[in-house]
Amino acid sequence: MLRLRAQRQLGPFALDIDIECRHAVTAIYGPSGAGKTSLLNVVAGLVQPDAGEISLDGQTLFSSAQHIDLPPEHRRIGYVFQDDLLFPHLSTKENLCYGRNLLPAAARRFALDQIVDLLEIGPLLKRRPGHLSGGERQRVALGRALLTSPRLLLMDEPLTSLDQGLKNRIIPYLCHVRDALQIPILYVSHSVAEILELTSQVVVLDRGQVIAHGDFFTIAAHPQVLPLVEEHGFENVLDVEIAATDAERGVCEVLCHGQQLKIPYCDQPVGSRLFIGIRADDIVLARQRPTGLSVRNALQGTISAIADVGGKQLIYVDVGRRLAAKTTSEAIEEMQLGIGDPIYCLVKTHSIRLGPQLNRPEKR
Amino acid sequence: MFSAEEVQVLLLSLRVAFCCVLLSLLPAVLLGWLLARREFPLKIALDGLCHLPLVLPPVVTGYLLLLLFGRRGLFGPVLAVFDLQLAFDWKGAVLASAVVGFPLMLRSVRLGIESVDPRLERVARTLGAGPVRTFLTVTLRLAAPGLLVGSLLSFARSLGEFGATITFAANIAGQTRTIPSAIYTYLNQPDGESRVVGLIVISVALSLLALVASEWSARRLRST
Repeated sequence: MLRLRAQRQLGPFALDIDIECRHAVTAIYGPSGAGKTSLLNVVAGLVQPDAGEISLDGQTLFSSAQHIDLPPEHRRIGYVFQDDLLFPHLSTKENLCYGRNLLPAAARRFALDQIVDLLEIGPLLKRRPGHLSGGERQRVALGRALLTSPRLLLMDEPLTSLDQGLKNRIIPYLCHVRDALQIPILYVSHSVAEILELTSQVVVLDRGQVIAHGDFFTIAAHPQVLPLVEEHGFENVLDVEIAATDAERGVCEVLCHGQQLKIPYCDQPVGSRLFIGIRADDIVLARQRPTGLSVRNALQGTISAIADVGGKQLIYVDVGRRLAAKTTSEAIEEMQLGIGDPIYCLVKTHSIRLGPQLNRPEKR
Repeated sequence: MFSAEEVQVLLLSLRVAFCCVLLSLLPAVLLGWLLARREFPLKIALDGLCHLPLVLPPVVTGYLLLLLFGRRGLFGPVLAVFDLQLAFDWKGAVLASAVVGFPLMLRSVRLGIESVDPRLERVARTLGAGPVRTFLTVTLRLAAPGLLVGSLLSFARSLGEFGATITFAANIAGQTRTIPSAIYTYLNQPDGESRVVGLIVISVALSLLALVASEWSARRLRST
């Protein structure tokens, strides 16, 4: 468990953090310049806080009161940077082993082969970083950090420099790391969609301050958080109003911009407003309102944009609010989808994620 | 082709040049790192002091060396304790050419170190390497082309050094007579012109070689 209490002046504002991270993955979310990277640097020991105390699994890493400041090389914390920062003069294998070789054999938790297999980087071992693609480099950087057998893994927007297609290919590896290796992760990102693939535990930072900390769907409606979430590309957040509840069947009927939607049951009075999340992956597009399907929800809208991101296609549909749906270029060709076309977005009730009551003041 | 005396001059020059590189490399690395990576008061003054020999007439540099390291110089008594004589000795020629060539060496080393992404050093630290190991395996390794360029320039500068050397180490045949002072001496003799041809050819060849080699390493420095 990471216990972090730190203050540090950062130019225009002060970083002032007091958090405990006890989950497998804790995401640090916030706009750029909010102090996310500084937070990681403080934990890693690369930046010294002006005051505070940091401890990991009961060991004090930093304490201004006790004058303890463990140097980064003694903290046993892995760090994957935004740019892969592989050593250009070393081969992939030498990069992977750089930290591992500095560890006493007894402290090595993973064999080289285990990490190489997990990240599928076997064919790259002899190559220099200059001859690797962006996704390969980021996987090697991840492997290099893992091979130091860290007690905590810090990841600073590791996918930002990659296009969407590569992101989708790297995220499963991150899930592997989370599930198979049992290393807690502190994951910095400004993409809610990316964070939610890994965890719902989020610390929201703005101007150096923690403005919310907890389950994403609990805090997303926080008046200070919601604008950030909308601004930073978490496309499918809808505010809905409960029209009817059915505890027996386990569903609620809600109104979403004038359209009906069935969502998982929640214990809220009729008329209250809610915040729901739909992943772009969970939306199926259809030309006609389908019959003979188990899917209950069909939101009608028009296609407002089609974007090609690294082989995957994102279709933006205006249903009163913009929804992003993932599909393939094949499907687009076959269905002859074009901008302005009317379309139905099909969503399974149980793939809709529930948020809490929306506390946003009503529009006057 | 060469007389015994010319061979002696050539060998002495090469020895002085090699020792000059060896003598300046460590201070250049330390100062280069300091200037490239650290901020401290009087940094500009230190930078200026290191570059002074570049603009000072070499004869003045040689005279200042005499004032400092001559037998009756400021550090003369210290050198006497170690039974070390620099003035009018080939070791003095090494010191003189090292001082004169130091700005060239320092400049290249500093550029080499500045070209290393400091974030790579931070990565090494998080991977468990201490500051010294990080410096040796990352910073210095990636700055190596800069070190090589600096060494070659210092080597070439040492082969051509005349003013400071002749002032501080003099021009003693067989002891401190390097290629430039030999050419100067021969040219002052009535039949000298025929004797200098070989030395001039050697001079030009060595200088060209060093320049080509440094250009080649500089290109490698830019491409990494």
